[in-house]
Amino acid sequence: MHLLSVSDLVVRFRTHDGTVHAVNGVSFDLDEGETLGLVGESGCGKSVTNLAVMRLLPRPAGHIERGSAVFEGQDLFEIDESAMRDIRGKDIAMIFQDPMTSLNPVLRIEEQMVETIRAHRKVSTKDARERAIELLGMVGIPQPEKRLRDYPHQFSGGMRQRVMIAMALALEPKLLIADEPTTALDVTIQAQVLELLSRLAAERNTAVILITHDLGVVAGMTRRVNVMYAGFVVETAATSDLFARPLHPYTIGLLHSMPRLDAEEGEPLVPIEGVPPDLRQAPVGCPFAPRCAWAIDRCWADMPALGAMDGVVAIETTGANPTHRVACWNVPTPDEARLAHPDRPGFHAAPAPTVAEIAR
Amino acid sequence: MARFIVRRVIAAVPVLLGLSVLLFIFVRLLPGGPASAILGQHATPQRIADVNEALGLTRPLYVQYFEYIGRLLHGDFGSSYVDGTKVVDVFLLRFPSTIELTMGALFFAIGLGIPLGRIAARHSNGLIDGIVTVISLFGISIPVFVLGYTLAFFFGVQLHWLPTFGLADPTLGVPAVTNFPIIDGALASLQGGTTAPFVDAIAHVILPSIALGSIPLAVVTRITRAAVIEVSNEDYVRTARAKGLTEKRVDNRHIMRNAWLPVTTVIGLEAGALLAGAVLTETVFNINGVGSWVVDSIRNHDYVVVQSLVLIFAVIFMVVNLIVDIGYAFLNPRIRYS
Amino acid sequence: MTATAATLAATPRTSRGLWGDALRRLMRNGPALVGLFFIAVFVMGAILAPILSPYDPTVGKLADGYQSPSLAHLMGTDQQGRDEFTRVLYGARISLSVGVVAVLFGLIGGTIVGSIAGGAGGKLDGLLMRFVDVMLAVPGLLLAIVLVSWLGHGELQIMLAVGISYSPMFARLLRGSLLALRESDYVIAARSMGASPVRILVRHMMPNALTPLIVQATLFAATAIIDVAGLGFLGLGPGDPRIAEWGEMLTDASSYLQNYPYLIFFPGAAIVISAIGFNLLGDGLREALDPRLKR
Repeated sequence: MHLLSVSDLVVRFRTHDGTVHAVNGVSFDLDEGETLGLVGESGCGKSVTNLAVMRLLPRPAGHIERGSAVFEGQDLFEIDESAMRDIRGKDIAMIFQDPMTSLNPVLRIEEQMVETIRAHRKVSTKDARERAIELLGMVGIPQPEKRLRDYPHQFSGGMRQRVMIAMALALEPKLLIADEPTTALDVTIQAQVLELLSRLAAERNTAVILITHDLGVVAGMTRRVNVMYAGFVVETAATSDLFARPLHPYTIGLLHSMPRLDAEEGEPLVPIEGVPPDLRQAPVGCPFAPRCAWAIDRCWADMPALGAMDGVVAIETTGANPTHRVACWNVPTPDEARLAHPDRPGFHAAPAPTVAEIAR
Repeated sequence: MARFIVRRVIAAVPVLLGLSVLLFIFVRLLPGGPASAILGQHATPQRIADVNEALGLTRPLYVQYFEYIGRLLHGDFGSSYVDGTKVVDVFLLRFPSTIELTMGALFFAIGLGIPLGRIAARHSNGLIDGIVTVISLFGISIPVFVLGYTLAFFFGVQLHWLPTFGLADPTLGVPAVTNFPIIDGALASLQGGTTAPFVDAIAHVILPSIALGSIPLAVVTRITRAAVIEVSNEDYVRTARAKGLTEKRVDNRHIMRNAWLPVTTVIGLEAGALLAGAVLTETVFNINGVGSWVVDSIRNHDYVVVQSLVLIFAVIFMVVNLIVDIGYAFLNPRIRYS
Repeated sequence: MTATAATLAATPRTSRGLWGDALRRLMRNGPALVGLFFIAVFVMGAILAPILSPYDPTVGKLADGYQSPSLAHLMGTDQQGRDEFTRVLYGARISLSVGVVAVLFGLIGGTIVGSIAGGAGGKLDGLLMRFVDVMLAVPGLLLAIVLVSWLGHGELQIMLAVGISYSPMFARLLRGSLLALRESDYVIAARSMGASPVRILVRHMMPNALTPLIVQATLFAATAIIDVAGLGFLGLGPGDPRIAEWGEMLTDASSYLQNYPYLIFFPGAAIVISAIGFNLLGDGLREALDPRLKR
């Protein structure tokens, strides 16, 4: 049994400007102690997916249209609010992007840590305080006893994120969701925080979902990666496989728009042309088609399912050797992936169908 | 914190000095000067000259001003031209009623405004929110005296539920100890073994407090609603929920604790409206406070009293704002620790 | 996305675009239209008073006194037998004109002081703002009360007194926006390209600084109507028995509260409804002029 199984998750937001199709049928599994990266540009649904799992979507706009999220055998979407509250913070903890705004500015760190512990454990304030000091020491905050009495604004950005990590790990959760945990930090601090996060998670066998737009962060941190685009998972693979042999044109685009020191001579830095789709339109066909150099007619009409390449019989969704799967009708060849454009004589990306063609 | 207070008090000095100069000039520039204000328009020039001489108004202006300031610093706010009573004495007699009235209004505005704002925020853009919005629109659009008379008519004249005259029933013969009607009533109740004087004092303050508190109520409601909605969208509220805290704790500790900041600021701003509104409320409900005294003094051309009262009002206003700012600093660690 | 929206909102646009957009948004704002309707009703009533009513607002027959509302006297008659409806209509003339002109006085005074302070900065700024502090130290209506007791009775005096009592608020608001704008990227950009300080103030800063001023002025119109009535109520009104004024009508009526409450009700309702009108319009303008508030 997996620790967490999300299947066919659909999340929509009702706004004044219409319905936003934020997540359009996302499925993935996660085992105990496993690390999974969720990668994609902002607005691709990676954060929303996890807020949905935590049932913390912004109210009243966001709601789960369908799907399930089975955590340790129970569907999180079916249990009542108080049961969900017991899971939040205790079994599943979260770390957010901006440690500046994620800690309550008017409450002491002490109160924010103690309340977390006491929300889930029947311990005295004194014991909870002891535990908080221990946790702050564990994440490398000097003089934890003294710093406990401080307010968030008295910490630097990196220290604040350490406090967030300490708070998230306070109850030894089985799953830690880290949503862009280092994006708001100085580059020099990023590595420290990431290293701390992965070391503590590994020591405790805590499963981690790491949400990021930065493929570089994923490379060192996670065993497996889901690439998301416009509310779909378009590619999933072991991290090493993904870097070695990207299959989806979007993944290829992401890899080529990332400057690398080890890039081979002449390997181009290619930006992804165009803009992400307007999520207020119900998705028709592959959402990447308008920006895709490999698009064929079919891409405009049907969204392909996430599938393995030919010849694979059994699909492994988790574990040491997960199946490399992609949602694409016209998978680029390895050579094309290196070039970042199609290399087939006479091939042109299929243009968007006209209204008349759609009607037919 | 002590340094913060000292700095604020020092900053208030030039403002008060400036105001005292303006008020000094104001009394000097009155049509005909203070003498004709005392003697009336038909006084003979000889009489006016005599009075001016007696009041020391013939000496150079700056000498008069410094004397005036010197007296102020000794706590001498002058005496009424009309009946000769000392401003300080009358002030101490009347001020407790004004405090009681404004505190009642503040209590009403905060006590009702914050729950209303929270309810409206919780159901934002729904029916309850709409009702609360309309209530607060009425609150800021209805003058104190219109609401005062409306309340007096329904709850006093029609229903006979609540008194509409003064802050205490003089026929109960409650002895004036502190001059605060409620405290005096409570003391009389304790001594006489009957609740009547205390209940009477409470009953008297209800309608004036509602009339005076309507504008602050509307403002506090609006700002609470806006603040709660804004704070609810903050990242740290999401963090609090993600930690598995109960909705009650998220509301009371994480949202309200932050929403109090803008509410506190607004309460400070509304203190001025309360003080000025007391002038009207005391007139409507025949309360012998400082506000009705201002009006009486202006009607009687008793400008020494007006001059002193305006200065006193300004000082009170500043003190209230200082208290509010201290409260704000207390609530906001970013101010306190900087 | 929010960043781009904020940048767009802060970008100076040509007046026509800004005002055109604002007007379009205002016309789609239901409550603001209701406010506009209330104001229009009172303006029409004030203008058409002689046509709408056959009675004289200042002279009545004592024999006609204390009549309850009827077809002949829609809002009844007062202690002197004057038609209450007629007096409310004529009262609108005073309340609206005095209130609006008072706000204009305050706006003009505040704009002059605020733009000098915010534009010049330095010592002049400090001096002017200390003066504004002194005026703001006297809370609200009390300043107007003292000023009117000094200036004397009359419509113009009330306009001046109320206007002066609002001007420090306008001055502070304008100065605040100007100071903020001075540090904004596009003003720094304009300065770096060598635009003259006056041109920067007039072309780049004022149009943006004016929008909060306009919103505040509209909201103050509501306060002014209430304050003008308050002065009348305290016996500091125009003081002319030939003029019907809502505040003075209320003072007169307060003696008859017990038996003739409608004499309080109608002028009171007139004040409330006209104030609601300006408050709704002001809130609507705020939303229309500040796209960032759009929900």
